Amino acid sequence: MSDLIEKSEFKVMDSINRDINPEFKKPSGALLDRKGLQRLDILLLIIEALDLNSGEAMIWAAEQMGLKEQLPNRVEIWKLRCYNPLRKTTRRGQPTSSDTDALIKLLCSMSERLYPLLHQLLSSNEPEDLSSERWNLLKTRLSELIEERMNPRRAGVHNLLHLDKQNIHLRQLVFTLALSSGSGGEDRLRASLLDPTFL
Amino acid sequence: MLKLNFVYEESCARLHIEGLPDYSQGHNDQQLGILSLWRLELIGTTELEGKLEHLKSLMLVVMQYSRYCLSGINKSFGGETSPVSISQNNGKHQLILRSSQVNIEPMKLLLDDSELADLVRCLDSLRLDPRVKVYWQLPRNEPLSRQERSAKASKLKNFATPFLGVLSFVLIMVLGIVVPVPEESIIPTDPKEQISESS
Repeated sequence: MSDLIEKSEFKVMDSINRDINPEFKKPSGALLDRKGLQRLDILLLIIEALDLNSGEAMIWAAEQMGLKEQLPNRVEIWKLRCYNPLRKTTRRGQPTSSDTDALIKLLCSMSERLYPLLHQLLSSNEPEDLSSERWNLLKTRLSELIEERMNPRRAGVHNLLHLDKQNIHLRQLVFTLALSSGSGGEDRLRASLLDPTFL
Repeated sequence: MLKLNFVYEESCARLHIEGLPDYSQGHNDQQLGILSLWRLELIGTTELEGKLEHLKSLMLVVMQYSRYCLSGINKSFGGETSPVSISQNNGKHQLILRSSQVNIEPMKLLLDDSELADLVRCLDSLRLDPRVKVYWQLPRNEPLSRQERSAKASKLKNFATPFLGVLSFVLIMVLGIVVPVPEESIIPTDPKEQISESS
C-alpha cells in the first residue's frame, strides 16, 4: 500500500461549485479544418471496421442522443462525412459547428459502446496471438473500407494503406477512440480535432 | 453525520472516495463537499491512497497527459518536486508517485494504453460526477498551439521542404549562368535589294 498519505490527516477543501469552474465550459462555435474533418471521418471508419453493424447503431445512437435534427438518416451522416477531402466523393465548403459537434458526440457514443473491444485491443495482458489476430482483422477491414471509400490517388490515403506505417498509426487511432469514450472524452476529442495541424 | 462513499469502476481500475457534505456551502446529504479519503486500485499494482492534494495532482497530470496523447504527443507532466508525474517509457506510460514522507522511494507504475484509458475514465467519472462538489483546478481542454504541434515533427521534416525549394532555385540560377545563351546571328543584307524595295 502506498504511503502517499497519513490517513488521519483530514483536509477541508475548497468546494467551489462546478458550475463556476471554467473547465466545464465547452468551446463552441469553432469550425474544424480539413485535417480535423479528415481525422473525424477516419475515426468513424475505424468504428465501422470494429463493428459491422455500426451503420444502424449510429442512427439509433443519434436518435437516442436527440441529434435527429443534424443526423436524421444515413444519407445525412454520409453527406457530412463527405467533407473529408480524402474521400472519393468529396464535398467543398465547411460543415457548421453544430453539425461537427453532432458527429463528435456520435463518435464518442460509439466509442463508449465499443470500449470493451478497444480495451481488448490496447491491453498488453491479452494473449499475444489472439491480440495480433484481432489487430490483423481490424487492419483488413479498415483497408477494405479505405479502398472502397477513399480516393487512392491522394497521398494521405496511400499513407493509411501503407502497411508498415499503419501498425503504429492504427494503434494511435484506436487509443484516441479509447480516450474519447467516457464522460469527459467529448471535450478532449473536440479540442484535439481543433489542433492547428495534424501530422 | 452521514459519510458518503462513491466508487468509480472500470475493468483495470477502481477509484473509491469517501467524504462528507459541506453544509456551509449549502450541500445536501447526497453531495460530497469534503473529501476525506481516496483509494485507487489498479489491477496488477498496489493500492494507492492519498490526501486530496495527491488526488488533485494525479488528476491534473493524467488529464493533461491524456489530452496530449490524443493529439499524438508524448509529453511528460509533473516535475521532480511534484507528488505525481507521468511520462512515456518504452511504449508504456510511467506514473511516478512521490511520498511526502522522507526516506521513502518514489513508487513507479507502468501502465499500458488500456490501463491508462481506464484510469482516465475513472477520473473523468469522478470530476464530472454532479454529486461531488470539489473544484479540481484543471485547465480547460484547448487546441494545442502551432509550436506544440510542430514540436512533434522532426527538424528534418520541418526544414526539408524549404531546403528543397531553396536548393532547386539555386540550381536553376546556376544552370542559367553556366549554360551559354546562343549568340544572335547577323544576316547580311544586300544594299541593292533594299534600294529596289524602297523605290
